Amino acid sequence: MKEIVCASGVELLMDYLEGVLPADVRSAVDAHVAGCPRCVAFLASYRETPRLLREATATRIPADLQASLRAFLRAQRGLSE
Amino acid sequence: MVVPTAESSDETLAARAAAGDDHAFELLVERYQGRIFRLACRLTSDTDAPDVLQETFLQAYRHLSSFRGESQFGTWLYRIATNAALMHRRTRARRPAEPLDAFLPRFDTDGRHVGTPAELQLASQADELLDRQFLAEKARAVIARLPDLYRDAFVLRDLEEMSTADVAHALGVEPATVRQRVHRARLMLRGYLSDLVGVKP
Repeated sequence: MKEIVCASGVELLMDYLEGVLPADVRSAVDAHVAGCPRCVAFLASYRETPRLLREATATRIPADLQASLRAFLRAQRGLSE
Repeated sequence: MVVPTAESSDETLAARAAAGDDHAFELLVERYQGRIFRLACRLTSDTDAPDVLQETFLQAYRHLSSFRGESQFGTWLYRIATNAALMHRRTRARRPAEPLDAFLPRFDTDGRHVGTPAELQLASQADELLDRQFLAEKARAVIARLPDLYRDAFVLRDLEEMSTADVAHALGVEPATVRQRVHRARLMLRGYLSDLVGVKP
């Protein structure tokens, strides 16, 4: 198969991390990354991106919204407080 | 009769709620409201999330009898919430496209990364290098700038940590399509974070 360079390796990263690449392609990616400090660094930041954004968007539900949701649902069910 | 408690399983509570036990339903709401609110914020906006939250639990309540325990209750509820969020977004005016293509990785003519390893890795330290509140605001804003198809796949797969198969089912596309969209979103967002900490992608 064709040799992997940084650009073609990057396009395979999602499939690589999800374990859906054919074995020979996976080996080719491994071989490239093993000898490429730039790809090691890129892969690290690619993997961290979901975690960073997950933590940065982990909003909490405000207490007043919990109360208004409960009131809304009770009203919809035809119940009173 | 056994009184449902906060320790009862989702499926037990759902079955009781379907049989008319409102206390069981309220326990489910308490258990999931935080997660559904967070999902709604990620798929719509802080402003629209309360409406999506109400709509989700109202739909869940109305359709409890159709929940048969074939999937987990959480999966079923997430699907309702996702649909509610996407429907809600459709009622809003289309936002102008703000392409994030400028943040995609760059390569030289031989297909090699442009930048040093230290520069290429810097995005992963965004939470150490940036103020927490600043990063939170930027994160919300940039996720909203993603093309909708990428945003939905990224939010469900990477922020809500659903499996690729579940995301595919929820969005009605093939798993390979989910992977492709999540990948594009990750590349754009990684480049954006990189830019935010001061390194051109």
